[in-house]
Amino acid sequence: MTVIAQAAVRRDIGVFEWLFDPDSWASTDGILASLGDTVILCTIVVLVATFTMVPLAAWLAHTRRGEVSVSWLVTLSRAIPTFAVAGLLVPISLRNGWGFEPWPIFIALLMLALPPIFLNTYTAIQQVDPGAVDAARAMGYSEADVLFRVELALATSVILAGVRVAAVTVVATEPIRAFLGGDGLGRYLRDGLGQNNDGLVIAGAILIAGLAGLTALSFRSVERFALPDGVRRLATTATR
Amino acid sequence: MNYPILKKLILLVVALAVIMTACGDGDGESSIDGPTIRLRGQDFSEAVTIAEVYGQYLQAKGYDVEILTAAGFRTEAIDGLRNDELDLIVDYIGGSLTALAPDAATSADPDAVVAIIGPAYQEIGATLLDYSPAVDGDAFVVRGDSPASTISDVADLGYVFGASAQCFERPQCFLGYTDPAIYGIEFASTVTIEFGTLLGEALAAGEVDAVVWNTTAPQITEEGFKVLEDDKGLHPAQNIAPIVKTAVLDEYGDQLRDDLNELSAMITTADLLAWNTETDIAKRESDDVATEWLEEKGLI
Repeated sequence: MTVIAQAAVRRDIGVFEWLFDPDSWASTDGILASLGDTVILCTIVVLVATFTMVPLAAWLAHTRRGEVSVSWLVTLSRAIPTFAVAGLLVPISLRNGWGFEPWPIFIALLMLALPPIFLNTYTAIQQVDPGAVDAARAMGYSEADVLFRVELALATSVILAGVRVAAVTVVATEPIRAFLGGDGLGRYLRDGLGQNNDGLVIAGAILIAGLAGLTALSFRSVERFALPDGVRRLATTATR
Repeated sequence: MNYPILKKLILLVVALAVIMTACGDGDGESSIDGPTIRLRGQDFSEAVTIAEVYGQYLQAKGYDVEILTAAGFRTEAIDGLRNDELDLIVDYIGGSLTALAPDAATSADPDAVVAIIGPAYQEIGATLLDYSPAVDGDAFVVRGDSPASTISDVADLGYVFGASAQCFERPQCFLGYTDPAIYGIEFASTVTIEFGTLLGEALAAGEVDAVVWNTTAPQITEEGFKVLEDDKGLHPAQNIAPIVKTAVLDEYGDQLRDDLNELSAMITTADLLAWNTETDIAKRESDDVATEWLEEKGLI
């Protein structure tokens, strides 16, 4: 049986004194562990959202189906406050024996991640130059080829931008999990607010903002590399 | 030139101004001269109802009272007094003790607690009035099927412990339960849960085996939970008591003191439980519950 010594952080601790203390990072429930919790959940949410929404939106946009109904449905899921969704789901999850985590927070964050990915994919494919699509068809491309080799290729950068927006939003929102029986990076905000420890609140906010910023930056570099060769050449000739 | 829309707008503004002044003068017949008493409840249902009871009571007596939207907890309330943003707060005396004198020995005797916090409140320019017989203490709550009957019994059960973030830094809470010199409980793990009904949900679902809640939480009896006996006397006395800005108290003289003491004496622990049942189980509004109780007691 392990004893969890959850000693509270000193109330008058300085923001950087705490951030630069190796113990704050390495202890069993330290920053690294919390960071891991947050990164894992956010990664899964963004992956699930990407691998469901990109195919769905691409197919709908390619066939020009459900333009109004689906985009409405997806946008609606963004209009409902994330905290309300998670807060309502927690008691339901508890009563069904599924625990505090991960379903309530997963579903709430997923609802946040779906709209930007869906809408960016849909719009990008819909707005691909019809001339390019017609030319492909005229050259005897099959419908699948048109979708994968023309439309999706030309839409890549806008789709990735959608994924980036979704990822940053999810990372910045994930801390609500700490207020709903979970942990993750939001725990420092929760404990700081609960224990009237301003240093801890500010340090927690810095960590969350830092992770969100890093997420945005790393997606930018991915966007640069992931662009198909043809599209990149197109971009360089256009600017020349 | 003629601007019919402009005329209508001016008329509308004038009409609104008249209505607002009329409303403002509405309940002025038996007013008592003195400064506005700003009152704010802590942000959980029992405290909100208590604030409404004190606020509506004083309003009916003719005091100029402003009941602010509930926000924050004890620290914010005490800071509000200190920074002259609030004139009246109602707190649990044992809670005040942990906030004002965290190192002082706790006691289950309210008079011993008051002897420490009375002077501490004077130092920040506030006066602690008589405490009420109504008590809402800390409760160490387990499910009904737990073999334990005292907190000491939990020591070797390997329980998962759930409580709010505040508990984990308090000597009268988590630190006291785990201190080998006091209870020395070895919890299997801990979960931080926002104070409120979520504690009960987590306990009922088996996510945690013990939570720190308050004795007047209506869900304790509703769900068939047990409150364990605090056999080592760790929990301090938690009677409710009003604390008034001394300057405001001086302006009103003995009348305000007497009126508040009279009200405090009438509130009982059973009333707190009844109010919480109304607000948390029946989901009624705190101000309605407060009005109803005051009317029933003939206080307004």
